[in-house]
Amino acid sequence: MTHDDPGAARDLGTGPDDATQMGSDQPGQHPGVLVAAEPRDVQAPIVVPNLLWTSPNAGAYAGGAVPYNHLKDIRTHDPEALEPTRWGALDVVPTKADYITDLIRMNSLWPLLSGLACCAIEMMSAATSKNDMDRWGMFPFRASPRQADVLIVAGTLTTKMAGPLVRLWEQMPDPKWCVAMGDCTCSGGRYKRSYSTIEGIDRVIPVDVYVPGCPPRPEGLIYGMMKLGQLVKDRRGHWPERAVGPNVPADV
Amino acid sequence: MVTETPIGKIRSDDDPRVLLDEQIGSFEPVPPYPPRTERESEFYTLGDGEMFLNMGPQHPSTHGVLRVVLKISGENVVDLDPVLGYLHRGVEKLCENSDYHHIISQVDPLEYVSSLFCEWSPVMAFEKLLDVEVPRRAEYIRVLTGELLRVASHALFQGWMALDLGGLTPILYSFIERDEIVEMLASITGQRMLFNYFRIGGVNGDVNHEFMSRLGDWMSRAAKQHETSIGLLNENEIFVRRMRDIGRLDRDLALRMAVTGPNLRAAGVPYDLRRAHPYSVYPELEFDIPVRGTGPEGGDALDRYLLRLEEVKQSLRIIDQCLHNMPDGPVMAKLPRLLRPRPGRAWAAIEGPRGLYGTYAISDGTDQPFRMKIHDPSFVHLQLVVQLMRGNLIADTMAVMASLDPIMGGVDK
Repeated sequence: MTHDDPGAARDLGTGPDDATQMGSDQPGQHPGVLVAAEPRDVQAPIVVPNLLWTSPNAGAYAGGAVPYNHLKDIRTHDPEALEPTRWGALDVVPTKADYITDLIRMNSLWPLLSGLACCAIEMMSAATSKNDMDRWGMFPFRASPRQADVLIVAGTLTTKMAGPLVRLWEQMPDPKWCVAMGDCTCSGGRYKRSYSTIEGIDRVIPVDVYVPGCPPRPEGLIYGMMKLGQLVKDRRGHWPERAVGPNVPADV
Repeated sequence: MVTETPIGKIRSDDDPRVLLDEQIGSFEPVPPYPPRTERESEFYTLGDGEMFLNMGPQHPSTHGVLRVVLKISGENVVDLDPVLGYLHRGVEKLCENSDYHHIISQVDPLEYVSSLFCEWSPVMAFEKLLDVEVPRRAEYIRVLTGELLRVASHALFQGWMALDLGGLTPILYSFIERDEIVEMLASITGQRMLFNYFRIGGVNGDVNHEFMSRLGDWMSRAAKQHETSIGLLNENEIFVRRMRDIGRLDRDLALRMAVTGPNLRAAGVPYDLRRAHPYSVYPELEFDIPVRGTGPEGGDALDRYLLRLEEVKQSLRIIDQCLHNMPDGPVMAKLPRLLRPRPGRAWAAIEGPRGLYGTYAISDGTDQPFRMKIHDPSFVHLQLVVQLMRGNLIADTMAVMASLDPIMGGVDK
């Protein structure tokens, strides 16, 4: 099963006749189908003996691709991955820097300071004292898109605001990720019937994590951001291939 | 069929989804159409040494997605034009296509900082249409939860006010207070922000043990916490000197521009809807109406800030009285599931943390209102920005705007 296999969504109980036009149901876009990176050719690693300290867990030196896709699989299938030194004191230097840079990226996701509506208040609440997002390295809300990694779309996206928001997204440097916070941004929510809202921001921006709720609790947003960190590690190298949902033409 | 419009191409006449093309991405301060009104042609004509500066709609210090086009001469703001509609969700139209119970959930996100007040005025209007008497316990619960939310809203105002002037610390204290209050309300409503709690003829559920224990816990230290938050900013000389003498609003201008709420009381007019047109159980409660800026010059941004802090003290008094006077009894009137009011019209207004929230509803005898107009104070107050900002510095724009405390959800509806 690859990320562009048209039958990928079948495992979730949808047949070919049930295919919908929603962006989230398209192959490679479905949030339930996290597709791991295909193993790519790795050059022979440079081995530098670690003379100071050696992990007692042999799995810490396994190398290669990560064998799990979901957070829960870490516990069930690969208990060795819980070994905190797995990516820590390496005595094998990978010749591909992706692993290390992705590790750094997933642990310091800097969101863009852009709130649209109600969810923005809960996003601020997640950043302040009680639910302190800073503990997971997500705090510095950057006021400039040039310095941000993550666009948290918090609140209803209207047709008038869509243009400026897409422009913000385009101004963010790669690699960048998008979190849809709230029902309005996931699917339209309680304003789905309105004439002036966009029914789900995956019509204009490729979305990585959907956080439903109207609005979601701050804990929900933090959980979504932690899932995004997992995604960053699992789908590394595939970010430029993402596409916007099929309702928007290719030339957008 | 593709139609060309000033903002881009629209796919077909019946499809409102706008195809985004390059046109909408380019963001010029000047609109892409010739001036439509006299005011527009006057504003978009540059004088000697003047230039346009676009601020927003994504801006770290606006209260939502507001875009302001400033016409500046050096550091001075000559004129400004707020561009609205970036959060227009068509709430009134949705309300006219929903039944009466459903409307409560549609109006909730209008002013998301104080959403109970958005429910209150439609519910009161529908009760007038249906001629329902609300149980007294339900009225007390409405007042109690409403005043709690007023405290939360004013706490957030204090934090945002400081944030817009560049102080980061007070917002952390504001959110501690706000999170305590909304968690308390979540124990009876099930939601932290968009409560959907008031019903036509009462409230959704009675207060429970968790709510009362949280409330008692909070009340025991609320006054002290309030003093702490006052001490954070009121004795800060930078803050006070920055806020003084900007955005002066005098009595005449305030009355002419239909200002209500704290902004009106900070301009020297002691008008509070809870006393002027008493509703619910407010006639039975004791509280004062703080007034500032009674001099001929009116009130400035600092007056509006200080007045809200004084209102918090009065809200704490009301909460205390509600807890002592709350009678026993039902919290919902007996009503049929499907409401079909007789044809007629009703207006109901309440005093929210930002001013007068009103609803004008016309019933045609069906289960949906024929027309529903929502009056929101933020929209009215935002017009003042143009009057108050002329001649001030660019940096004061956000301070004046924050002192008026508009919420863009209510402005754009």
